[in-house]
Amino acid sequence: MKKVLALVLALAMMMVATGALADIVICQNKVEITAAMQDYAKLYTEKTGVDVKVITGGGSSDYNTVLKAEMQSGREPDIWVIEGPSGYELWKDKIADQTGAEWTKYTAAAYMDGEKVVGFPVAVEGYGLAYNKSILDKAGIDPATLTNFDALKAAFEKLDSMKDELGLDMVVSMVAGTTTGMTWVTGLHNFNVYLTVGNERNDTTYIDQVLEGKVDEERFHQYCQYVALLFQYSTQDMLLNGTQDSQLAAFASGKAAFYHQGNWMDPSLVVLNPDFEIAYAPHPFLHEDTDGILVNPPSWYVVNENGNKDEAIAYLNYLATSEDGADYMVNKAAMVPAFTNVTIAPSTPLSKSVMEWNAAGKTYDWQQYKLPDGFGMGTLGQIYELFAAGTIDVDTFEIMMKDAIAGIAK
Amino acid sequence: MTSKQKRKLTEFLFLVPTLLAFLMVIIIPFIYGIFYSFTDWQGTGSFSKMVGFENYKAIFNEPAFLHSFLVTLKFTVINIVTVNVVAFVISLLVTSEIRGRNVYRAGFFVPNLIGGIVLGLIWQFIFSNILPSVGAAIGWDLISKSLISNKDTVMFTMVTVNTWQYAGYIMLIYVAAIQSISKSVMEAAEVDGAKYWTRITKIQIPLMANAFTISLFLTLTNSFKMYDVNVALTNGGPVGIFMNKPVNSSELLALNIYQTAFKYNNMAQGQAKAVLFFVVLTIFSIIQVSYNKSKEVEA
Repeated sequence: MKKVLALVLALAMMMVATGALADIVICQNKVEITAAMQDYAKLYTEKTGVDVKVITGGGSSDYNTVLKAEMQSGREPDIWVIEGPSGYELWKDKIADQTGAEWTKYTAAAYMDGEKVVGFPVAVEGYGLAYNKSILDKAGIDPATLTNFDALKAAFEKLDSMKDELGLDMVVSMVAGTTTGMTWVTGLHNFNVYLTVGNERNDTTYIDQVLEGKVDEERFHQYCQYVALLFQYSTQDMLLNGTQDSQLAAFASGKAAFYHQGNWMDPSLVVLNPDFEIAYAPHPFLHEDTDGILVNPPSWYVVNENGNKDEAIAYLNYLATSEDGADYMVNKAAMVPAFTNVTIAPSTPLSKSVMEWNAAGKTYDWQQYKLPDGFGMGTLGQIYELFAAGTIDVDTFEIMMKDAIAGIAK
Repeated sequence: MTSKQKRKLTEFLFLVPTLLAFLMVIIIPFIYGIFYSFTDWQGTGSFSKMVGFENYKAIFNEPAFLHSFLVTLKFTVINIVTVNVVAFVISLLVTSEIRGRNVYRAGFFVPNLIGGIVLGLIWQFIFSNILPSVGAAIGWDLISKSLISNKDTVMFTMVTVNTWQYAGYIMLIYVAAIQSISKSVMEAAEVDGAKYWTRITKIQIPLMANAFTISLFLTLTNSFKMYDVNVALTNGGPVGIFMNKPVNSSELLALNIYQTAFKYNNMAQGQAKAVLFFVVLTIFSIIQVSYNKSKEVEA
């Protein structure tokens, strides 16, 4: 027992020692990319002579514990990860202003505090209406035209009329079930379509209204028609009983032409080995053209004001602007970089499409996480399911949604 | 110190570790819980103010909670009946002269060894995937759609799964009680010409009344507190309408409390519900136990 204890102590001391030796300490939360990140850190050391140490906390809750412990260890990390406003508020006093850093020129997805640039986007995730190109080709539909409600509706109608010919079970693979725990797809991701599509990133008009209990009548009415369209051209069985797996399976096996999910499904999609081309179309719920998909970084790197600030920013600049950095982000860590200058394409279809939209600068923001806890998945998710089940019609759906939103302000 | 006092002290010292553990993990959190139900605590850091009975008042204006309460009562009543009837019937079966009864005893008990979450997921697959394909194949409309996503049948699925899981456990209690009834009593009744049905209702059931007290108590509390099967099998769905508001039609109280606290991040409100839940369950259990106790007889 004593021996084990001594060993543990020795190891702990070694870790502290190496920590003290490194020029930059990074505390990050993605367990799956730890190895890739460490290799990249070694490469960086070889090229620049700057020593980099990577500390990883697994899972989001663990990560916060690890980070807090590191902060109190006397050797604060120089770079760490924040996952949104709550993380930013917590560490605000320590986070350095990176306005004007070289990497900021190549991205629209930096974490901003007013006019100040404070967070480096680790990667981006995106969603839209993924489509099966070979089915659309057979039906003679050009996906590039699906940028407004009327075009999409016409496309859905055409596909629906050719169902047997194309071997389709449904036009859109869409899920909304509480039982299967899929209400985040409707209550958060789909609802965000209302919040941001057509707007500049950082434009918070509609989320601000919602938080005050109000909606833009005309826009919201149109959004409800869009939900009705998606639900009408899916099947009730898929909407209510579809799981993440069955939703994907319907699309990957060519039984559905469209698929309402994000590029995080790529690892599962690749396993099913679809034999057709896949890319994203927008969520065009308005009659006006809205040409873009919904893209957002899940987390950001921030720099410690009191640490090796210049070294840390240099590290981030190299990550964003060098070929080594691009190779690491795309090929080694299998992420979609948030930077427009990166030209290497990911090999998986959904991520590839997200990257193309992002590089073209055609993206809309994610603001669904500004909703109160549980509101999207719980309160709104229930109403979507009622509508999917046919318990209520589209007008009642609209009334109940507005009613629920009005409840926020109380 | 007299030897008697010494003995008392020794006994007490032996109790200390258990008492300490009980105090630390049950009593203190319980008191904390009651305290937090009067605050606006959000689960992190400290609360900003005391709100008195606000959380309790809000509960009674919440359709989802009232609905959960009714659903829980309904589930509890149905479940107590089915679990006990099934358990009693199979306990009669496995205490009869039937061949291979030990295999049956083990077999009926096994579902109880599977965790509720696993069980819920397995049965979800059965109800949403296997039964519908069987239903489609044989053309039986009722089961050709998932029984779980139908508001009218979701209760049936929960009761089925819980009975399947819990009846084996209750069966053990009945088996022990039946075996403890003296053979001579049963034989005397048989010699006197009592038929099988009469022997069960007039002799066995009154003599094993204490087993009913325990079994009813266990099924009452178990059904009332049902959480794991609920979350894994139905996750509270499908959605229904109650008092003009959307509610999760199979969301039992425990799940409702969990969702309030962790999904809506409204810890103090969830805590108030939990306190109410405790009070109601205690009252029901006391009524049930005192009623059953009065029915017990000695042989």
